[in-house]
Amino acid sequence: MNSFWNGKRRFVALLMFLAGVFVALRVPPVIPFIQLPGEKFPEGFNIPFTDIRMTNTFVAAVIVWILLLLFVVYIARRRPADGNEVPPGGFYNMFEALFEGLMNFVGGIAGGRHFRLIFNMFMTIFLVVLVANWMELVPGVDTIGFIHAHVKEKYDPVADEYKVVTTDGFEIYQGFLGISYVNGQCDWISPADEAAADEAALANAEVAAMAAQQTLIENEAYERYEAGHGDHGDEEHADDDHADEAGNDDHAENAGDTDAVAAARQEALDARSAEKQARRDRGCYTGVAISSWEDGYEPADKDKKKEPIPLHPDPRSEDAKRVPWVVLPFVRVASTDLNMTLTLGLISFFMIQYIGFKALGIGYLTKFFNFGTLFKSPLGGIDVAVGLLELIGDFAKILSFSFRLLGNIFAGSIVLFVMSFLVPILPWPFFMLEFGVGVIQALVFALLTAIFMNLATVSHHHDDDHDHAEDH
Amino acid sequence: MDPQSTILLGKAIGAGLAMIGAAGGGIGIGLSVGGAVMAMGRNPDHTPTIQTNMILGVAFAEAVAIYALVVSLIILFVLS
Repeated sequence: MNSFWNGKRRFVALLMFLAGVFVALRVPPVIPFIQLPGEKFPEGFNIPFTDIRMTNTFVAAVIVWILLLLFVVYIARRRPADGNEVPPGGFYNMFEALFEGLMNFVGGIAGGRHFRLIFNMFMTIFLVVLVANWMELVPGVDTIGFIHAHVKEKYDPVADEYKVVTTDGFEIYQGFLGISYVNGQCDWISPADEAAADEAALANAEVAAMAAQQTLIENEAYERYEAGHGDHGDEEHADDDHADEAGNDDHAENAGDTDAVAAARQEALDARSAEKQARRDRGCYTGVAISSWEDGYEPADKDKKKEPIPLHPDPRSEDAKRVPWVVLPFVRVASTDLNMTLTLGLISFFMIQYIGFKALGIGYLTKFFNFGTLFKSPLGGIDVAVGLLELIGDFAKILSFSFRLLGNIFAGSIVLFVMSFLVPILPWPFFMLEFGVGVIQALVFALLTAIFMNLATVSHHHDDDHDHAEDH
Repeated sequence: MDPQSTILLGKAIGAGLAMIGAAGGGIGIGLSVGGAVMAMGRNPDHTPTIQTNMILGVAFAEAVAIYALVVSLIILFVLS
């Protein structure tokens, strides 16, 4: 294998490029359907042994844990007996170098009595967040999934009621291998909208016809006027004939009028059918005339906040044309779900408090409720206020931890979506950017946890401790 | 103007306005990194300490910008 690819690796890049060109030409790009909460799987996909529906971010989190477990097993097996050394090279050595570098890094920040605990937390959070973040770079994540009918209820503030809205979504089509695709070039138009557009086109045609009629009548009146006052004109030979004809021969004239009116009407109608044809040429079906697409849909109870049951037609059936479709990815990056980041934030919050109590005992609480100096020093009141601010600040850490990671990674995956849509062949620079963002966010999350844990171990009573004590 | 487009218009304008908050984060990050680089140039021996504090400060300043981002994302994708 190795000898086969020696010197040929550059052709892999070329092949990938060609594959990108092929895919970009063959498959229409899909405008992403962006949703902030983790998307729920269809009916029947519960978390094993529970009633809770799985979400795609949950699947990603499980994959992260499996990968990490495999990783740990691998590292543990490759680890040489004490005193021996592993020959340089390979994944294990890379990890060892990384591990050592990070160990020195954290040692410089939080080296002390509690280094082991702090570093364990640091490394765990770092690896979890890193693997979770990097999953957005894997092809197929966020793009391959269930295709599901996107029929939802939204509150209409104008009509003050819940209405079935289907503004988002695309038409579906069957590609090769019988796989269903969401066709990004065809916005789904509801039959009602389609009928309304037809009606509007008809009305337009009527208006055009009336305008033509009006022009004709005006022309006729003008001709009559000309005929009436044109007696002393020089060039009346043709006009005279015409006026006479018009006077004698109303029927012929009317037929000519009707032709002109019909032509105007037809022109307006042609514009509409050209519009439809243009859509059809793009591979979209249009004007699907099926009675009502709302049957089978159970409306949400406004008071009980019950979840509406959406339509689930077979993507291959004729019914599929009645509803808009979106892709529900099998796997979506775990860090784009607030549940994951909030959990990590809570874990790190509790670890900060835990290490504080472990290091300082019950005296740790004086950091927040600092009444000791209230009557002793003139600035005692300020100490109390500072302690309360610390308390609020500690809870704010949960929010800032979770939103920082969520915001960065969610924004990053949107950037990847949009760039893959705009530049289907070469969005690589953005993948490199997200690679870097993934590392930095994992490092920041883990590092902040380590720093805060270290800060919590430092007593606030003595000023001779660390220089970090005055950080914030 | 039809209500759906009015809602869309409001959402777009609101999300854009919310992102003004990111400017503050940018200024903050620029100031803190600038100061840290200057300090590291003056006394390279203290680089680890300065770097740590810089990353902390950057992360705090960035958090504010990210709040703005989250607000605008919520306006765009969650608000109905």
